Amino acid sequence: MAITTRVVDRPVDESSYIRATFQGLALSFKHLVDPHKVTVQYPEEKWDIGPRWRGTHRMLTTEDGTAKCVACGLCPTVCPANCIKLVPGEDAEGNRYPLVFDIDEFRCIFCGYCQEVCPEEAIHLGRHYENAEYERKDFIYDLKRLTSQTHPVCEMWDPADPRGE
Amino acid sequence: MATKRTIEVELSTTGLGADGKPQRIPLVSGDTGGLALQTPPVLEPELEGEHMLINIGPQHPATHGVLRLVLELDGETVVRCIPHIGYLHCGFEKIGEYRQYNQIIPWTDREDYLNCVGNNIAFALGAEQLFGIEITPRCTVLRVIGMELSRIASHLVWMGTTGIDIGAFTPFLWSFQERENIYNLFEGWVGARLTTSASRVGGMAADIPDGWLDGLKAFVRTFPRTLSECDRMLTRNGVWVGRTVGLGVMNPEEALNYGLSGPMLRASGVDYDVRKDFPYLDYETYDFEVPVGVHGDVYDRYLVRMEEMRQSVRIIEQAIARLPDGPVNVDDPRVILPPKHKATSEMESMIHHFKNVMEGPRPPIGESYVAVEAPKGEKGYYMVSDGTAKPVRWRIRPPSFVNLSAIPKMVEGHLLSDVIAINASIDIVMGEIDR
Ligand code: SF4
Ligand code: SF4
Repeated sequence: MAITTRVVDRPVDESSYIRATFQGLALSFKHLVDPHKVTVQYPEEKWDIGPRWRGTHRMLTTEDGTAKCVACGLCPTVCPANCIKLVPGEDAEGNRYPLVFDIDEFRCIFCGYCQEVCPEEAIHLGRHYENAEYERKDFIYDLKRLTSQTHPVCEMWDPADPRGE
Repeated sequence: MATKRTIEVELSTTGLGADGKPQRIPLVSGDTGGLALQTPPVLEPELEGEHMLINIGPQHPATHGVLRLVLELDGETVVRCIPHIGYLHCGFEKIGEYRQYNQIIPWTDREDYLNCVGNNIAFALGAEQLFGIEITPRCTVLRVIGMELSRIASHLVWMGTTGIDIGAFTPFLWSFQERENIYNLFEGWVGARLTTSASRVGGMAADIPDGWLDGLKAFVRTFPRTLSECDRMLTRNGVWVGRTVGLGVMNPEEALNYGLSGPMLRASGVDYDVRKDFPYLDYETYDFEVPVGVHGDVYDRYLVRMEEMRQSVRIIEQAIARLPDGPVNVDDPRVILPPKHKATSEMESMIHHFKNVMEGPRPPIGESYVAVEAPKGEKGYYMVSDGTAKPVRWRIRPPSFVNLSAIPKMVEGHLLSDVIAINASIDIVMGEIDR
């Protein structure tokens, strides 16, 4: 076990034009007939993203359809891009809930810290990557949009993926 | 030629005078009434004929980012070169003064964006030195794997884009294909391909998922084949040799004087590698070779980087063999968030979780500097703490920035078309230079 130093071979004298050309052509043709294809024909064929993919957010809901968020304020605090706007409210029994919960997906850098810190497993990043919209304001996802999206969620920092907690 | 004049397209700039010292080119009123530029008078007597100043960049694909090179040409020969930087300045270091240590990690993705995982880990190492944390054995090995994978990814981009600059298109496709495989691995590990944010102070964002090592083993098996194909395309190719040999030569003394590091320095024959000379992450226990060149030209830099990729594969193989089981994150509730199921069920973990996020981990007063061998050279992170959760100052020692400073020296006397090859051989990333 050791780290050693070695002077690299410098095969300048062995260089050639004609041999290299034929060698290169042979290699290229080998790849041309190689059955192993790597190109994904994108709009028809979708990229298969992994279970930990960090994409646009989703807010998970309880059975009665309200957001799981308890407006604890951890995710707006930890967000390095300062793109979560949270206004907490309190109902008659003293339960906190978010009055406003906006995520500016333009500013978001998809670091996933919000999901990592959420104690209620409410805010999740989504396994989703086609984000085009017609208007800029549509990129500010409000609570309604966040709770109504249906794409699968990122499994990291989730009891679903014990190695990723 | 009777008249000697320089066509002026330059505004205000600093450059090297004939004596080699930096000097400010004065901005004076011209005869036409507008502002015109006077070339430094010291240069005038030496110049023959008509010189021309041309711009390469900032929006030129061959400058690998938003680098602007102002070249003074005598015919096709470069007389003087002034690199202009700052077009990508984002103020990372200032932003970091308003962020907790873990919140800075996404910023490190974005400086040298070809080596994201390496940056994340290097920053975490710096912060851990500040906090006085010993990371776990599993984390150490995982970090070595992450660092070497991102070194290969960075060198692959270098090989592909440099090939394109010099006119070899095919290796570009093959190298980017292999890079995709590396990014697939990163995606499986931390959920992002480029902006990984893979590390945390005291550990990693996540342990590798089940089956991930199989993907890594498959990569380690197939990658050397692609590498040797690229090697067969380029190394003994007369065009490649003709366009790289003898260009941008730096002898060892010059290379040291300019403060070069990484493959740039090793190609000149100085066997300085941070992994070897100031080991971190137990690199001294791995078995690998540090390739050095002799001539210090573009061809040697190419050879050194190719060999470094092979050695990285060796290191990854050894790391896979010794990867221990056990926890990835340190068992220290001061810095690490408790596991999710504990944070939501146990009161104490919940309190730690909230304290950790709302206040942030606080290192003791002090400072730390950690240098790692990034693909581009010696990359350092310097942090000063005043005992609060945010650094008073953090600073990056970017290898590209220091390496770029040698470009006026290297291109002098070469042809305009060789400037592209020499600039490519430095392997710059502007995000890191401008920060
Ligand atoms: S992913 Fe990161 S940047 Fe985006 S909202 Fe969550 S914490 Fe903020
Ligand atoms: S961390 Fe979770 S519970 Fe707390 S405010 Fe954010 S989404 Fe709501």
